[in-house]
This record gives sequence, C-alpha cells and structure tokens, in this order.
Amino acid sequence: MKFIFNLTRREIRSSWRRLLFFFLCIALGVGSVVALRSLIQNLTKAVGTDARALMTADIDINSTNDFTPVEIQKIEEVVGRSNIVEARNETITTAQMVRPSDPRNDSVKFVELKGIEPPFPLVGTFTLSDGQPFDFSLLKDNGAVIAEFLLEELKVKIGDKLKVGDGEFTIRGTFDEEPGGTSGFRLGGRIFLEKKAFDSAGITSKTGRIRRRILYRTSDNPTELVQQLREALKGTIVVVNSYREQQENMGEQFTRTENYLSLTGLLILVLGGVGVWNVARAFVEQKRKTVAVLKCLGAGGTRIISVYLLQILTLGLIGSLFGVLLAQLTMWFVKWRFVEAMPAKMTYGVGASTGGQGLLLGVLISLLFSALPLLQIRNIKPKLLLRDENNVNISRLDWTKWLFGVASLAGLLGLAVWQAGSVKVGVFFLVGLGVTSLILYLAATLLTWLLRRIKRFSSFSIRQAVNSLYRPGNQTRIILLAVGLGAFVVLAVQSLQSNLVREFDFTRNQKLPSLFFIDIQKSQIDELRRMINSRIGEEAEAIPTVRARIAYVNGSPFDFEQREVRQQQGIIGREFAVTYRPNLDENEKVKSGSWWVGDATDTPEVSVEEDIAERLKVSPGDSITFDISGRKITARVANIRELDIRNTRTAFVFVFRPGTLEKAPHSYAATVLKHVGATERLRLQRDIIEKFPNVQIFDVADILATVQRLIANFVLAISFVGSFVMLSGVLILIGSIALTKSQRVYENAILKTLGANRRVLATILFAEYGLLGMLAGLIGSGFAVALSFAVSRYVLNIKWEFDPLTAVLGVAVTALVVMFVGVAASFDVLFRKPLGTLRSQ
Amino acid sequence: MIELKNVTKTVRSGIEDLTILDDVSIAIPDGQFVAVTGASGSGKSTLLGLIAGLDEPSSGTIYVDGDEITNQKEDKLAQIRSEKIGFVFQSFHLIPSLTAYENILIPMEILGLRDARERATKLLDDVDLTNRGHHYPPELSGGEQQRVAIARAFANSPKFLLADEPTGNLDSKNGEHIFELMTELHRQNNVTLVLVTHDHALASKAQRQIVLRDGSVLSDSVHRDEAE
Repeated sequence: MKFIFNLTRREIRSSWRRLLFFFLCIALGVGSVVALRSLIQNLTKAVGTDARALMTADIDINSTNDFTPVEIQKIEEVVGRSNIVEARNETITTAQMVRPSDPRNDSVKFVELKGIEPPFPLVGTFTLSDGQPFDFSLLKDNGAVIAEFLLEELKVKIGDKLKVGDGEFTIRGTFDEEPGGTSGFRLGGRIFLEKKAFDSAGITSKTGRIRRRILYRTSDNPTELVQQLREALKGTIVVVNSYREQQENMGEQFTRTENYLSLTGLLILVLGGVGVWNVARAFVEQKRKTVAVLKCLGAGGTRIISVYLLQILTLGLIGSLFGVLLAQLTMWFVKWRFVEAMPAKMTYGVGASTGGQGLLLGVLISLLFSALPLLQIRNIKPKLLLRDENNVNISRLDWTKWLFGVASLAGLLGLAVWQAGSVKVGVFFLVGLGVTSLILYLAATLLTWLLRRIKRFSSFSIRQAVNSLYRPGNQTRIILLAVGLGAFVVLAVQSLQSNLVREFDFTRNQKLPSLFFIDIQKSQIDELRRMINSRIGEEAEAIPTVRARIAYVNGSPFDFEQREVRQQQGIIGREFAVTYRPNLDENEKVKSGSWWVGDATDTPEVSVEEDIAERLKVSPGDSITFDISGRKITARVANIRELDIRNTRTAFVFVFRPGTLEKAPHSYAATVLKHVGATERLRLQRDIIEKFPNVQIFDVADILATVQRLIANFVLAISFVGSFVMLSGVLILIGSIALTKSQRVYENAILKTLGANRRVLATILFAEYGLLGMLAGLIGSGFAVALSFAVSRYVLNIKWEFDPLTAVLGVAVTALVVMFVGVAASFDVLFRKPLGTLRSQ
Repeated sequence: MIELKNVTKTVRSGIEDLTILDDVSIAIPDGQFVAVTGASGSGKSTLLGLIAGLDEPSSGTIYVDGDEITNQKEDKLAQIRSEKIGFVFQSFHLIPSLTAYENILIPMEILGLRDARERATKLLDDVDLTNRGHHYPPELSGGEQQRVAIARAFANSPKFLLADEPTGNLDSKNGEHIFELMTELHRQNNVTLVLVTHDHALASKAQRQIVLRDGSVLSDSVHRDEAE
C-alpha cells in the first residue's frame, strides 16, 4: 500500500502537466453540471416554490363570475362544518389600462389591478419599498399602492393621482415585491386597491375579465376540505385549489427542468469523459516503459494499475473541485450578464449538495472513462525493455476488457438515470447520445473516405496533410465527432434563433395587428371605430366576443380531483373569449368535420381549435356545454380547426355558428392592422382610454419586443451551454493531439532528415488541422441545418429559411478554431532537433 | 543455481517463424560470474530475458534458485524478480519521473522493506552518487544513470544479477568503471552475475564464457583460474 501511495505521489508530481487536459475535461464537465443545476435550483428558490405564500392562503376558491348566492351558501356550509378554518378574505383581480390624472402627462399603461380587503395577506408578509409593513389604511378612500417600477413607467410619484376606470386614486405607497412574489409572464405591473373601489370606480361593471377569489387560511392540512368544496361545487364554474396541489405541480415542473438541464451538463461531462479516455490512452502509451521497468523490478500488474488509478482519481477529484469553482464563476458571470432578466431574490451561490454531487460525478466519470485504457497496463510485458514489439495479442478475445467495457457502459447509464431522475429519460439520453454519435461518426467516416479519394493534390504539403489524417492510430474520426458535435449544437441554436426571430419580426409579419382592443361595449364600438378611422385611416373590423367557460364535455364536468385534469386546469378551466361567424378566417383550416353554411337552426354548433380539442379529447359530433354568464349552452362540435397563430389578427379557440350567441351579453374586439409609429400608437391609446376607460389595449409591437427579448436571452443561454460543448470538443482535440504527438515528432524528424524545411512542415501542420476543422465544421453545420429545419417545421411550426451566412461562417469559424488549437498544441514539434528523436526511437 | 533445459524460443516475424534460441541447455552455479557473448541476433538478450522471467520460452524449462519459472503467472514472476533478481539494461531504463534516489527506492518499496530509505542512501554512496540523489535521470550523465541502475539492481540484495550490455552505451572510461563496480559488488555479495556483452576484453575477465551463435551454444568455457 505504501508503495502505491508513494509512487502515486511521485508520479503526480511529474506528470500533472501532461494530465492537465484530463483535468480540464473533468473540470469543464463538472462545471457545466453544477452550474446548470445550481442555476435552476437557485431560480426555483428565488421564484418561490412556496405555493402557500404565492397563493397568500391555504385554499383558493375562484371564479370569473360573481359568486351566486347558491355557490356562496354551499361554500359556507362546507366551511362551517370544518374546524380548521382560521381566517378568510376576498380579492378581485383584473387587467386594466391606467393613466395619470395630470393631463400634461401622456403616459398610459396596461396594469394588473387587485382589489383586497383586510386581513391581507392571510399567509406571508407584505412589505413596502420603504421597509414599512403594508397597512390597509393606505388603500382607504381611493388610495393605491403600486409596483415601484410603475412610477417610472407612468412618470408619476407618490401623492400623484391615477385614473382607473371612472375613479381617481392617490398613490400612497410602492412595493418591490408583492406577497408571494412574482412568477411567470405578466403583462403589466400590479396596483392594489380597496376591493370595494372596484365597484365604485365602475371597473366591475364594464370589464369582462374579472377573477374573484375567496381565500381561507387553515390551521391544518386543507386537502379534505378542498375535496368537500369541490364536491359541493361540482357542475359550477367555480375552481377550488389548495396550496398543497399547487406546490406539488410547481415542484414537479422545477425538478423536471432541473433534471433535463442536468442532462445537458452530463452531455458535456460525457464529452469530457471522451477527452479523459483519450488522455488516459496517451498516458498509458507514454508510460509503457515505466510500467515495464516496474514489472521488471517486481511490481505486479494490479499494483501498477492501482497506482495509475489512484492517480486518475486524485486528478479527477481535483479537476472536479476546479469544476465546482468554475460553476461558481459561471454563476457570477450569469449575475453580471443577466441580472436584469433574473428574479430579484435570485442568489448566485453553488449549494453544498450540488457541489458534492458534481465532485462525485466527476470522479465517477474519470473512473469510467479511464478504466479501459488503464486496463491496457496488464498487456504491457517487461520484455519490451529488451525488444520493443507489439505485444498485444489481438486475436485472443479479452474477456476482462469486454467486462469492463460493459461495466463502464452500465455505470454511465446509472449516472444518466441518476441525473435525469428517471430510468426512461436516462436510457433515452444514452441511446440518443449513442445514435447521434453514430450518425456523426458515420458522416465523419464518409467525409474522410471522400477526401482520401481526392488524392491528386498538387502541393506536397497538402498531400502530406491529408495523409496525416490517416496516420496509424489517428484520431481523425473521434475529433470530427467531438468538435462536430460542439459545432452542431452551437450552429443549430443559432440557425433556430434566426428563424424564430424572423418569425417574430413585426415588420415582416404584415398580417399581425399593431394594436388590439378588447372589452369594447356595444355602445362604444361605433365611436371607437370612428376614432381609429379618423386618426389612422383604417376601417377597423369589429369582432363580437362572448365570455364563456366550459361546464361539461359530453355531459360530464371536469374532475379536478384527477391529477391529469388538474394539471391542465389553467388551460381548460379558464374563461374563453368566443366569437361567431359564418366563414373561416384565411389563417384557418378545417382538419376534421365540416364548416357550416348559413345560421344554426336548432342545435348550436361550435368549431374547436385542434390543440384544445386534443386536451378536451373531443372530435366532431361530441358536445361541449358552455357557461355563458350563468346560462348553459350545449353545442355540438362541428369541426376541428387548425389555426396559424402567427399570421392572425385574432385567435379564437372556439368559434360558434351564427344564430346562437347573438343574444348573449357581448363585448367587441377590434384590431388595427396598419403599422404606425410608436408615438402615434401611444397617442391613440391615450385618447381611447380617456374616452373609454374600460377598453383594454394591447400594443402588439411591445409584446413582440418582450418575446424577442425572451428569445434572445434563451438563445444566449443555450449558446452558452453549446459553447461548453464546443470547448469540450476542443479539449478532446488537444487530448488527441497529445495521443499522436510522438508519431508526429518522429515523422517530422524523418521529413527534416530528408530535407523538409520548417516552412514545409508548418504548412503541413496548418493544412492538416485546417482540413480537420473544415470537415468538423461541415458535419456540424450540415446537421445543424437539418435539425433547425426539422424543429422549425415540425416542432415550432414556423417557416424555415436556409441561413447561408450562419452555415458558411460556422464552417469557417470551426476550421479556424481547430487550426489554431491544433497548430498551437503541436507547434513545438517543428523546433525539435531530428537526431535526438531518431536516436530515442 | 540457474538452469535452462532444452530451451527454445521462436517468434513470429512477418509470415514465418524465427528461432531465436534453439534447444539451449545451460546450468550456472551460485556465485559464478558468466559472460555471454555472440554476434548481434545470436540470442544473448533473449537468453537473459528468459532467465529473468521477462519472457516465456516456446519450449523447455528454466529453474531459478530451484523454482521453475516457466509457465508461471505474471505476478508470481514479478515476485521472484523482486526477491531474487537484479537487472541492468544497456539503456539504463530508469523511470524518468523519479529522482535517482527514488529510482533506487522503488524495488525496496515494492518488496516492502522497512529500512528502504537508509539502504537507498547507502547504495547511492556505494555507487559514488551521494550528492546526485535528488536529480532526475535526464539530468544525469550516461555513466551516472548506469550507476543508479546498478544501485537499483542491488537494492533488494538479489541472488542473481543479470546485466544486458551494461557498458554498451558508455564511453570506455565510464564502461570500465561500471564493470568494476559490478564485479566488486558481485564479489562482496557473492552474487551470481550473468553479463551479456560484445566486449571480449570484459568477457575474458569472467569466470566462464558462453558464446552463442544463431541461437545455439557455440562454446562454453570455464576460465583457467576458475578451472583450477
């Protein structure tokens, strides 16, 4: 044992420089895993998986209609029987346009209003920007407490007045974070008002999209109470939630995201592993004589393998530690670069358990990928000290090697399953990686084969460079695979981005409206259209909309006790804006069933958008019962409709056949298609709000800008990960160069002896790596184009355009990177004196 | 005693078999100094390698100190070498990543000797390298490297010292010094010394000289002094 430790220590002392790449491969891989996991974990923490605080209560009963006396009676009956309810309050929320009362201030903003009553919040705390706790008296007599950033957006200060609906409210305080924090996509900032002010300011009477909530705080697990409430309210549109179920859903989502991201990290780590494998092979090759000497001096194979294994483990551990440090640096980089896109509570530290997991992963990957090369030590015979010959018996089937190979693969599968948190995903990951690698490897084989066919290069250097790619023991295909994979990820993301951004490019999508108005009352529509016409010169189309919820599908209500149904609650349980018209829009297509001709006579008919049809599991002939302002209307599904959401003025999930909804309470939507300047848009919005405070206006250009920003951040994040993949490819390249370096040194010595000067040798070097890089770039670029096409066409359903610049630039940059790295790693070879090299052979 | 009985070694060279040693039978009594000479390719180094268990004969048996070493497992052979055999190579074969002192230490650490450090220091003294112990092999001259190799070979007090052209890579002065060192250690420790060499002058100083030609023993003569 002492011998093993002593020799390990001495060997590390002398070979750590040579194993630096090994170290870097592991560090990079572990860094990726730990950084990605930490990022998502911290994000989860910052966004708050504390569903209880988010909900500000334990039970949330909500409806988009006023609670009917019957509903309230049922709720109170159930709650009255329970002895765990501690407190209750009600809230009311809606989205509205607000503007400052000061006529000189021309700002106008879409905000989210929340009317509250004491005690608020039932759960959690509410602290204002100045550090004082929220006091309900701030809202009394038309007071408002608004999100801090709205001050700037609306160009107002505390004490100023805002016009909301018909009312005027004084800003009495601001907050950075409302109870439960903020999560998800929100259109506007939050403004708190007194609940009863919603009525006095006419907000409830004129706005359609209002959600009312009754909240309870309980002293014990509310699950049973929630079940009883659901049972009592079955068949109504009232939705009951408990914080526990919310928590469960959110936790699951975050865990899934975390695990998927960790797999991306694992991909980089596996690539790092390939680097480790290469370095370990080169290392064993370099250590052949030392191993033979040790065997000659009486050390057994197992002891020698132990020495090198211990050495690899030590370096793997140090590399992993360095990786954790790298992860921390990455987190600081994220803070520096993306702090504005991150939630306020975001922290940027690497957790101990994540770090520990990274260390374990790093050490295990080092072990798995170096086991096979180290096993070669067994085959090194001491007689090579007397006569060096290839003493590996190839014909004999080496069972140990196979056994270790299978064990390594199983270990890798174990790691993938562990990181993915699911056997299925783990297996899928490994198989996917295997198939991708195989395809890239085949492409690499094909390209090198083709290159070899073109033998007639006039230049000696180029001919020699091509020959070098086929040197015995060459790493050409492995390098092409690794670097190609890196280039593939980076380029695919870039190519997808350009297609996505094009898709959301406001100026190119002429069919998208520039302004979108909703909640227009019947009495307002004509005047509003006149205003638009006089200002912009466009005859805006008025689209009748009716607000409806799904009550039953084929006669049965949603069973929210079922997990699968509950998870879709936000999509199928929400309120829909529905319309009716005699014809299909130009961006719509009937997928099944048939479109109607003329008005409905007896049975109402409805056309359903394909995605929601799939969720509701309906097809033509089925029935859906809608709740429209308390009235139930059962409609037959006439057809399933495909909607091209990009070129649409409106996107209605449900379209009724004319003849049914005409008498239901209506509002109107209107669109402005003409693309006008920002100032003009703002002025029109301001004037319309002045006149019709209940109308809500969406500035599509603003929303698209937000979406584009989101895409840009997303792409930057993926490219960042992609560049790590690329970097591991480069490390593999360096490792491979080390592996074949002695051969290159020997070749160069012979070429020098035969009269080749340094210029010729340098040209060979540049040409070899330039060619290699070009091939890798071609592979990466080719597959990136294919992937971006497939994803655009079949996953995102967007139009795909070939982006020649990205493709060509991708090949060029990859070629340059490989050439630079390759030449830099081999440059010293040019300066070796040939005699010493030839003598030592 | 080292004993070879009908030892043949053939290797595959291209598509045909090449016989390196052909039915060789030799017995070397303990404490004897034997020089093995012969032209290049006569099988000298192979013979030495077979005795050290570095390679296996194609047929025949070899006994070292009464143990049959043919058909032994790799690790068993390593153990025999560790305990009984010291080996000196023409090209030294020191471990480049270890200092001179550590190179000498290695065989003793493999065997697990307790006083390894003291012995290594003494061995360095014995080969006149007291102040060079912390140097790495590339920092030493050829003669110095071979002295380290000899100290290493003697580290575990072997019964048998096998030397393959130990002076072949050295100039005559250094070569002579190395030869004297080995014979001196041979005498002091009563070690069986098998020396493979091209140098007839050196060979003539041995107690016994075996000449190989094309893998067979051409002559096996005992020096007159020894015969008497």
